[in-house]
Parts: sequence; C-alpha cells; structure tokens
Amino acid sequence: MDWRWDFTFDVVIPRLWEAAGVTVYATVASFLLALVGGLILMLLKTSKNRMVSFAVTEFIELIRATPLLVQIFFLFFLLPEVGITLPPLTSGIIAIALYNSTLCAEVYRAGLQAVPRGQWEAAMALNLSTYRTFRRIIIPQSLPPIVPALGNYLIAIFKETPLLSFVAVGEIMHASKLIGSEYYRFTEAVTIAGVFFLVMSLVSAQLVRLVETYLQRSIQR
Amino acid sequence: MKGPKIRFEKVLKAYGELKVLEDLDFHVDENEVVAIIGPSGSGKTTVLRVLMTLEGIQGGTIFVGDEPLNVMRKGDRLVPANRAHVRRIRSKIGMVFQSFNLFPHMTALENCIEAPVQTKGLSKSEATAESLELLAMVGLTDKRDHYPSQLSGGQQQRVAIARALAMRPEILLFDEPTSALDPEMVGEVLNVIRDLARSGHYTILLVTHQMGFAREVSDRVCFFDGGVMVEEGAPDDIFGNPQNDRLRHFLSKILEAT
Ligand SMILES: Nc1ncnc2c1ncn2[C@@H]1O[C@H](COP(=O)(O)OP(=O)(O)OP(=O)(O)O)[C@@H](O)[C@H]1O
Ligand SMILES: [Mg+2]
Repeated sequence: MDWRWDFTFDVVIPRLWEAAGVTVYATVASFLLALVGGLILMLLKTSKNRMVSFAVTEFIELIRATPLLVQIFFLFFLLPEVGITLPPLTSGIIAIALYNSTLCAEVYRAGLQAVPRGQWEAAMALNLSTYRTFRRIIIPQSLPPIVPALGNYLIAIFKETPLLSFVAVGEIMHASKLIGSEYYRFTEAVTIAGVFFLVMSLVSAQLVRLVETYLQRSIQR
Repeated sequence: MKGPKIRFEKVLKAYGELKVLEDLDFHVDENEVVAIIGPSGSGKTTVLRVLMTLEGIQGGTIFVGDEPLNVMRKGDRLVPANRAHVRRIRSKIGMVFQSFNLFPHMTALENCIEAPVQTKGLSKSEATAESLELLAMVGLTDKRDHYPSQLSGGQQQRVAIARALAMRPEILLFDEPTSALDPEMVGEVLNVIRDLARSGHYTILLVTHQMGFAREVSDRVCFFDGGVMVEEGAPDDIFGNPQNDRLRHFLSKILEAT
C-alpha cells in the first residue's frame, strides 16, 4: 500500500479538520433537536385528544418504516418544491433530528413507564403538584434508564452524519471523497475519516458510561 | 352536634362494567378508629383510594368534614371540584400503602420533608425538625440518612408512616400496612399504628387482615363483601357475635387459616 505522509499532512488533515467541524456541528445540532422533538412527540402521543395521538402515532410509524437516507433526500428535494429553501446542512440536520426524535420519544416513554405506579400515587397522596411530582419524584427515577439510551443515540447520530454527503453537505465523508477525486488518491483521506469516527465513537461511548455510573451512584435504589 | 368526619353517600365506583363499590353509605366520626375487613376484591382498598382522590367516583358524594370532595360551592350553585379544592381537602388526609411507596432516591428524612416543604410552605429547617421528631416517634432516628433500599420492610413502612404524619393530616388511611412484611416485622409497625390510634388525635381508617389487631385498636369494624358494607358494629360484636352469614363464613375461613 502506498501511503504518503506529506500528502496526509499538507492536504488531507487540514481539509478534513474543517469538515470534521461540520460533522460535529451536525451531530450536536441534530441530537439537541431530537431531544426536544422526542419530548414533544411523546407528549403529543400521550395527548388526551384522540386525533392528535393517533396522528402522531402514525407519523412515528411512517418515519420508522422508511430509511433515513430516503428522508434526507425527501426533505432536500421536497422543501424547495413547497417554497422553503434551506441550506443542505440545515435540511439534513432536520431530517436526522426528526428520525431520531421518534426514537427519543420511545426512550422517554419507556423511562417514565419504568417508574412504578405507586410512586405517582404516593406523590399524589402527599399533595405534590404535577410539576413537583415530575421534577422531584418521577424524572430523577427515570434518568438512569433514559440517559444511557440517549447517549447511544448520540453516537448513532454521529455515525449517521456521513449520509449527509449524499446531499453534498461538506461533512467529513464528503470532504474525503472530494479529496479523493481531486488527487486520485483515496487511501489517506478515507482512512483518516475512518480513524476520526472510530476515535470519536470510542471517546463518546466512554463519556456515556461515565455519566451512567455517576447517575447510578447519585440515584440509589 | 358535629357531623361525621368522613361520609360516603350512595357512592358508586366502577371500572367499565364492573361495579366495585355500589351505593355505598358509610361514615366515620371525628377521631374514630374504624377497621375495614373483608375478602379479597371486596372493595376495601377502593374505599381508601377514592377517599384519597387517587380515583374518581362515578356516582354519589364523598364528604370530608362537611365539604364534598368531588363538587364545590360556587355562589349558591354546585360545580365540579377544581384542582385547588381537591388539593385542599386532600391535604387533610394521609395514606400509608401496602407496598410503602417510599421515594427510592431520597433518604428517610428527605422522604419526610419533601412534601411539607413543597406544599405546606415550611422552611427546610422547620420541616427537618418536625420530621426528626416523627422519625424518633417511629424509632428510626438513627436511620434518618438511610435510603429505602438500606432499610428492612418494617423500617420502610415506619418511615412511610412518619412521611404521612409530616403532612399534619387529620385523617389517616392504612391499606393493609403489614401485608407486605415478613412476620417478624409486623409487630413493630402495628405498635406504631396502635400508638396513633390510642392518641385520639386522628380519624383512622384501617384496612387489615389482622383480625386480632382490628379487634384491639378499632372503635368500630366494617365488613365489606362484593362492594357493599354487609355488616358493621363494635369489634366485640363483629368478632364475638357476627350476624350476617357471609361475615360468619369469612371469619371461620380466617380462623382456619391461622
Ligand atoms: N384499576 C382497576 N381496573 C379494573 N378493576 C380494578 C382496578 N382496581 C381494582 N379493581 C377491581 O376492583 C375490585 C375491588 O378491588 P380492591 O382492590 O378494592 O379490593 P380489596 O378489597 O382491597 O382486595 P384485597 O384484599 O385483595 O386487597 C376487585 O375486583 C378488583 O379486581
Ligand atoms: Mg386491597
């Protein structure tokens, strides 16, 4: 195999470094949006209004049943059709966030359901307000199952961002393809991109584990 | 003369088609200790749950003092109770559950002070002082900083009693408070309940399968079967001279079992 270090340092790393910023930005933005979107979806899904909860349930099914790449394309080509022109990065982030918000909604629901009914009843018998009940009783008990699951979605989102290269977002995969076709050399760029994903995934997995241990210790059972 | 502290008037509680309480008339006087006995599924827990407003009712009225629970006066009309009304009445009632339901992420002391601080507007130090007294009363001063997982069942239930008392309730509801306990821990919990019953400060409704204890502490015993109160009377009459066939059958089966 023919690996050129000068090429690596002079061309590949500077250009990928910039692209890595886009990848990280896309990951964090999608994740934060998915966290909020998941909460909204869960609240709407459990709404007392039958129409709302039915519509949201179907919407979630629809999102889950189609590949993320299709959704990215769909938003990319569809939004301009209805007069909304967004930069590809933005529409891509929306697509990833939407897809993952359906997963987050499920995580929230499962986390809340893991809190025994007796906890709600004790809180009610003690006359705690709904807000206090959530804030002080329910949420602290549902965090231990929720946080690790969300952490895994953060890592999953990170690994989904290369899909954005299909709509020409200048994230790291796209940048390495460009380098490849400009210089007719793929080895260095693709390898460095791979190493970047590997290192970041390992580091974030470790972080998630740390948070998990911390939560387990602070919330005793 | 003062009216009863708790009054059920033609109360109907149903889950779909299943009527769990039917046309129930029932009352408890101020500072009276009433034991509720009856076979499984007879609606004993339901009586406590609808009184605690953990469940709504489908018909009739429940009064606490002279205030109806599910409706309130607005001018001279009766309208469905709003949240503030329900919460005000609820604040007079404390409940102790069969399965303790302590908050697992809080220590014994934190369990006790949580609600008084949040809902009674007590300062943390006031609530702490009061809760420490209550923990001392149930004999758990040295467990104040223990989490529920570090306590035995009997200790957990005593914390749960202290937690209910910390709300300064006038009415105490016990739903089979010793059923989930190992036999050797039953006594320590019954001792606490006995003291509360004898103090004369509380109106107490006690659902129990411990017939000896019911007879000992209660002023009156009510026998429920199939969602109706079949017989009520002084403990000595209920246990010594039961009238209704179903009550006699129930008591003989309990005797066999013990
Ligand atoms: N959430 C519910 N949905 C449907 N039916 C219920 C529900 N809760 C209670 N029931 C039914 O109501 C009836 C009375 O229940 P309840 O818990 O009051 O009985 P109980 O006298 O306390 O019995 P036990 O001695 O077993 O505790 C039972 O037939 C029970 O199956
Ligand atoms: Mg019961």
